[in-house]
Amino acid sequence: MFHQPMTFEHALDLRSELGTDATVINGGTDVVVAMNHGAIKPTTFIDVSRIKALRGIEKQNGHLIMGAGVTFADLGKMHFRALREASLSVGGPAIRNMGTIGGNIATASPAGDGCVALLAMNAEVQLSSKARGDRWMPLVDYFIDYRKTALADDELIKAVRVHNNPRSRWYKIGKRGAVNISLVCCAISQNENNKTELAFGCVGPIPKVAPKASALLTGETLTPELIDDVANLVTHEVAPIDDQRGTATYRRAMCSTLTKRLLTQLMEDAPKGDADA
Amino acid sequence: MIQQVTTTESDQTLDAPIAPADHLVGKSCRRVDGQEKVTGAALYGADLFPNSAELFASVVRSEHAHANIVSIDATQALEVAGILGVYTHADVGGTNIHGLIRRDHPALASKRVRYFGDSIAVVVAKTERAAKLGRDKVAVTYEPLPVIATMEQAIAEGACKLYPEGNVMGDKRIRKGDVERALADSHVVVSDTFFTQTVDHAFLDIEAGTGHWDGQVLTLYVAGQWVHEERRLIALALGLPVEQIRIIQPVTGGAFGGREDISIQIYLGLAALKHQGKTIALRYTRSESMRARHKRHALKIESTFGANADGMLTAAKIVVYSDEGAYASTGIAVMRKAASHATGPYCVPNVEVDVYGVHTNNNPTGAMRGFGACQMAIAYEGMMDRVARALDMDRETFRRKNLIQSGDTVTTGQRIDPVSVGLCLTKAIQKFKDQPYPGSDHLPAHIKRGWGMSAICFGLGYGDGFPDCSRARVELSDSGIATVYTGGVEVGQGLLNAMMQIAGEELGLPFESMRIVAADTELTDESGSSSATRQTYFTGNAVRMAASELREQVLDIAGIKLKVHPHEITLQHGWAYETSNSNNRVRMEKICTEGLTRGYSLKATALFKPRTIVEIPNTGQSPRAFITYLFGAHVSQVLVNIETGEVKVERHIAAHDVGKAVNPQSVEGQIVGGVAQGLGMALMEEVTYRDGRIMNPGLTDYIIPTIKDLPPVEAIIVEHDDPGGPFGAHGVGEPPLIGAVPAILSAIYDATGKAPCELPMSPERTWRLINEVCENDPLSKVF
Repeated sequence: MFHQPMTFEHALDLRSELGTDATVINGGTDVVVAMNHGAIKPTTFIDVSRIKALRGIEKQNGHLIMGAGVTFADLGKMHFRALREASLSVGGPAIRNMGTIGGNIATASPAGDGCVALLAMNAEVQLSSKARGDRWMPLVDYFIDYRKTALADDELIKAVRVHNNPRSRWYKIGKRGAVNISLVCCAISQNENNKTELAFGCVGPIPKVAPKASALLTGETLTPELIDDVANLVTHEVAPIDDQRGTATYRRAMCSTLTKRLLTQLMEDAPKGDADA
Repeated sequence: MIQQVTTTESDQTLDAPIAPADHLVGKSCRRVDGQEKVTGAALYGADLFPNSAELFASVVRSEHAHANIVSIDATQALEVAGILGVYTHADVGGTNIHGLIRRDHPALASKRVRYFGDSIAVVVAKTERAAKLGRDKVAVTYEPLPVIATMEQAIAEGACKLYPEGNVMGDKRIRKGDVERALADSHVVVSDTFFTQTVDHAFLDIEAGTGHWDGQVLTLYVAGQWVHEERRLIALALGLPVEQIRIIQPVTGGAFGGREDISIQIYLGLAALKHQGKTIALRYTRSESMRARHKRHALKIESTFGANADGMLTAAKIVVYSDEGAYASTGIAVMRKAASHATGPYCVPNVEVDVYGVHTNNNPTGAMRGFGACQMAIAYEGMMDRVARALDMDRETFRRKNLIQSGDTVTTGQRIDPVSVGLCLTKAIQKFKDQPYPGSDHLPAHIKRGWGMSAICFGLGYGDGFPDCSRARVELSDSGIATVYTGGVEVGQGLLNAMMQIAGEELGLPFESMRIVAADTELTDESGSSSATRQTYFTGNAVRMAASELREQVLDIAGIKLKVHPHEITLQHGWAYETSNSNNRVRMEKICTEGLTRGYSLKATALFKPRTIVEIPNTGQSPRAFITYLFGAHVSQVLVNIETGEVKVERHIAAHDVGKAVNPQSVEGQIVGGVAQGLGMALMEEVTYRDGRIMNPGLTDYIIPTIKDLPPVEAIIVEHDDPGGPFGAHGVGEPPLIGAVPAILSAIYDATGKAPCELPMSPERTWRLINEVCENDPLSKVF
């Protein structure tokens, strides 16, 4: 059965009624691929991609709120540098036109480029259920374990929000120029209070933040020495594994390399009032 | 004022001048198959399904890389709704064996499986879904055997033997001069070991086709590379006479050697024989395609080269181990090609080459674009860079001192004339230096730019005395249309156009008057395989010879019509005219009508069968191992991020001597495609196995280049007439890939100062090379 609700309320009804019997699909760039590989064999779908209300991006109280149906193509036009570049590094044009930020968060892959960029930006995710209404939670708390999240069986992802105007940087190492799965990716953002967050992809079971490194940076002015310390510290905060795409040794080293490179960029591109060029 | 002329015709258009000589050879005539391909009208194997399939087949494959089969139980499978039959080796009427060159691969395994994709049974059902459900219900009981995952394990003492005669499949050698002495006397001696990876062909058009048995003829629509040989192999395996099998090649999306071995043909044939009157369809998924198909041989190449103080090469000692996987296929020929190309286009007076083929429980290995010559170019060009550096000599100067010249001999003792490798290198480097890359010279400290070069040679055709011939038939109809018949298959490379253009050139016909029928065993004669870069040369020659015979008929008839001697007639753009008086002319269709009434056949066939000479087994020497040699040279420029190991090819120049470009646009396409595939091999493509199991059977993790990875490829077509080729042409299929890989590696060496020796140079491998990190290196090749 393929349900295609046109309103979010209807989608919540279906979700509450069908629970885990139905697979939620929002672009299908993960779900359909998994089906083709035979990894999942769903028979019931709730396709939320036709819900217009999920496609909006709006500014509200110093936040930018993005609906769960905002596509990577949409995000690729945004001025938040890390999120924009991360989004433009996802797949190719066809995948970016279909794939959504909500889908990326729902899939919760450790290689989810969008999730890593959002984590670094201290994003919060809005989860909704018919029974309990909406709740906001920090994205960092949403990821629990490998593809395991805080999303309840009757909940849908409604939106994600970030603070306006962080300065941010992004880098992804992959094996080719497009349709490129991360070997390691790193996002860094810094808000106007000099609070800096780091996040990494493919270095553990979930998209990973580095709280100790962030703590070391908080309130400090970036210097080469500080950057070296942080770059060293992050290698202890990540837990990459060996897999056929790359080794833990390389990934750990790259966390340090990318931290250093991106922080150096932030340091060298001194803020000039507005956020990102 | 219109001049009154005496002509044999009253056609009004006679007053118009004859179109200028339209030389089809050398012209980028629009691809005859182009429009249907770009509009989607072309029917590839999988496109035949919706229209024709009545039943569907699926293949049961081994779940073990190495095991004895204890039993095959189809009881549960036969209970699946829609299942019509499950067929095993016991149902196969013939030898049940296939294999190109060496036949050792059971179509359906009976007692033993030797790789993870080995096929065991064919399931036939009313729907594709039922066929797959049934496939999953066939219960095979195995007795696992030790898995030989690496060549090292294969040759270890006491290793489990894949075959009674052991795991070493065979060896090929070259002996010339006194290598030990020459190395001892050398000014520098440099050694290194290269590891090339297992590569998949990754053609986009996954194996798919249909089969039908009407009680008399088994008709298969399946893409291969040599329909007549496939017919022979299928006939033997299924126990049918060849004349009861017809193979028709559907439109084909790439081959690269990946269709040289039998794929789905025997399964389809078996299913069709069991279900007379029904059209059976079978198609792989990408992962099944990768799991089933043979691969490019992974080679370990131990190279030692010596040179004297003047920079002249003195000796080369090369030992190669080739992972043959589970079945031999074309392995023995690949080993031979590797041996004969071990020192490339260089004069090396003393040479010792030993190539060993070693069986493992990895996928069978076989033909892939470059066929052993590709891997060896990585090693010999890598060594040229290393020796040049050891001599503190410029890389280009060192190469030029040692490149063969016209009249020199290659390692196998064959004298080559003409040789154009130096010319190709000059043209490539000239272009590189004269037209600098527009990119910024100001690079951040962690980005290094470098450039590299390669010079390569390639022996065309099967070589080594292996029978190699092409037939062609050309016919003229009474409407002046010429049709070329060839057994050669179009796999995307442009064979159809090339053959039409060659025949049209010979007959003085415009391209619009040309037709072609190809790769149908019923309608066409055997033209050998579309492989070994041989079709332009071999079938091209046969087509030209047949067209030439037809031309004689045409001139004869035109002579009668124009009342002049045939020698005084020119054929041009569909006309025959008196050379000294173009107003005395007649159209081709009139000639044809006239000819037919006068009893001319207007048909001609030709066989082109040049000879190569088998090498002397112990020395590998042969005065004519290959019918002709092709040359090329590349220059590549890369950016390397020394912190992350990422490599970006910024610019790539490829110069290839094609003799004569029959269709320059197709030639350019082959060059660009070869560079793309070479870039993939250099930087990203790698089949990884764990205990014989492919870990990346899909394009998610088997990484091939995208358009974003490919720089603008600057193709330089060098035309140095090949005296033996049709209109001087020889071919271009494989050399562009062969040249691309070492040029990119050479550029990485230049940028980083570190010499790559393991492929592919993924970001991690490049980073490990730069930083000399060995710790925890599962990427490192285990011999």
